[in-house]
Amino acid sequence: MKIKCVETSAILGGKEIVKSVTVDVEEKKFIGIIGPNGSGKSTFLKCIYRVLKPSGGVIYLDNTELNRFSVKESARKMAVVSQHNYYNFDFSVQDVVLMGRAPHKKQMERDTAKDYKIVYEALKRVEMEGFAPRAFSTLSGGEQQRIILARALAQQTECLILDEPTNHLDIKYQLQILNIVKNLDITVIAALHDLNIAAMYCDELYVIKNGSIMAHGVPKEILTTGLLKEIYEVDTKIIEDNETGVINILFSPSMT
Amino acid sequence: MMLMQGKKITPFYMAVIFLLIAGVVVSILFAVTFGSVSISVQDVYSALLYKLFHLESLSAYAKGPTHDVVWLIRLPRLFLAVAVGGGLSVCGVVMQAIVKNPLADPYILGISSGASLGATMAIMLGIGAFFGANFIGITASAGAFFASVLVVTIANIGSRASSVKLLLAGTAISSVCSSFSSFIVYFANDKEGMQTITFWLMGSLAGAKWYSNGVVFAVILAGILFFITQYRNLNMMLLGDEVSITLGTDLHKYRIFYLLITSVMIGFIVYSAGMIGFVGLIIPHIVRIFFGTDHKKIIPIAALTGAILLIWTDVLSRILVPNSELPIGILISMIGAPCFIYLLVKKSYGFGGAS
Repeated sequence: MKIKCVETSAILGGKEIVKSVTVDVEEKKFIGIIGPNGSGKSTFLKCIYRVLKPSGGVIYLDNTELNRFSVKESARKMAVVSQHNYYNFDFSVQDVVLMGRAPHKKQMERDTAKDYKIVYEALKRVEMEGFAPRAFSTLSGGEQQRIILARALAQQTECLILDEPTNHLDIKYQLQILNIVKNLDITVIAALHDLNIAAMYCDELYVIKNGSIMAHGVPKEILTTGLLKEIYEVDTKIIEDNETGVINILFSPSMT
Repeated sequence: MMLMQGKKITPFYMAVIFLLIAGVVVSILFAVTFGSVSISVQDVYSALLYKLFHLESLSAYAKGPTHDVVWLIRLPRLFLAVAVGGGLSVCGVVMQAIVKNPLADPYILGISSGASLGATMAIMLGIGAFFGANFIGITASAGAFFASVLVVTIANIGSRASSVKLLLAGTAISSVCSSFSSFIVYFANDKEGMQTITFWLMGSLAGAKWYSNGVVFAVILAGILFFITQYRNLNMMLLGDEVSITLGTDLHKYRIFYLLITSVMIGFIVYSAGMIGFVGLIIPHIVRIFFGTDHKKIIPIAALTGAILLIWTDVLSRILVPNSELPIGILISMIGAPCFIYLLVKKSYGFGGAS
């Protein structure tokens, strides 16, 4: 699925947080959005996944305006994994993932064997199939986040939106979650805070600061010492791994 | 593996439901033999059997005091207990989901104080007397309904009603209603009336009649069946509005809709039994302790458990103090609260999850 945001703006508490952002996401691309805290990454994504109403601009899903879809229709097109997923309820893992089937259900429609099969396959994909009967709240942060990813997979969408999905996770789980997502081969838009991870997984990056896009392009081309200094106000050294061709950003302690 | 292709309802769950239904039936059959008038067990069942099957051999029980006590006093009362217990428990489950708060009970959103205000106005000022014999009940349930409509309306002013806004509006309306009740009581200065209000607010099943039972039963049953079909939205309410939108459901309209349905159910319960507290608060929690949070499972279980609880508390309220009847609301809190505390401590329960 293609997603196109044309001059999208968003106002929160009277302040314009997202200022005329234009982002063009092509079919099956993994797009990263990076920028410092408070830059408007999350707010922008919330406009796409409809928790916030943009104050200006138009968002298109496959050339159709987002507003033309009901929330149910758009939930069949894109699924969301966000950073806060702590529920203080005794839902079982299976119950949580089964909720991913909700957008495919009519009012009063029952869960079918097919739904349970999809749930099982989603759990298998995140390697959590043995956890189905466990209580969600008893899982570790990394496990919970994988379950939420499984729920998004159960939605069977052509697009996945990740809103800092790996915050507070150990590096092992960060890589694990992003590997699963990368292998899905669907359209992904991800707000990421770790630049090395963004460089590793993303096909394209949008750099956002104070609500505006500052740069856009292939990670290797735009992640430069100069840009990082400008955006994050830190000194960096960028090296390329000869074997994999992946760039690595080294941070220097000398602050100016 | 519990999760295998399409095995959604486990045999264990079916067994629990079956046992609870059997429990309701057995409780009714057992409870009907208790009462302030002593009638032998054999006479009670003879009267029942005659009523149900019109057996020739038992025609002696077609009328007379035994028939009247069993058929016109005890049995309607038990059926009302089933409806009220089931209705309060399910409304409690739903209300806790709507406001996403474990402290919610069916009366939380201004319903209880709206009902008290209605009852106070009826008893002290005679408002609604033209409704006939049970005008206090009718005025009280009207008060309950208007209070909850008011809460919903207030919570929707400005921005859309969130669970927090609903709770705050409910608390505010509660204060307004109870201060008006106090105001009326203060100026009416009517000792007898005050006693009537107190007694009425404690709740009682004594007024049960077949003709009104039918309506109450139908409303409660329809409400419960409706909410069983709504399990998916109720589950989502616990995840919050943002997550629900990404799962394709805008909860706002459902929240309002469910609230109105519960206030109709509660209105009928208040009308027929006054205010019976605590059932709608503890039964949902007790059921969650044992069966988790999935509303598909816990709504039927809560309804049946609530029904059984109320049958037995009503029996106790009739026999505990000889020659008098305890208000059922008092008894439920007296027995229910310690049991609930025991479960809380024993099962380290925190509204579900690890807290």
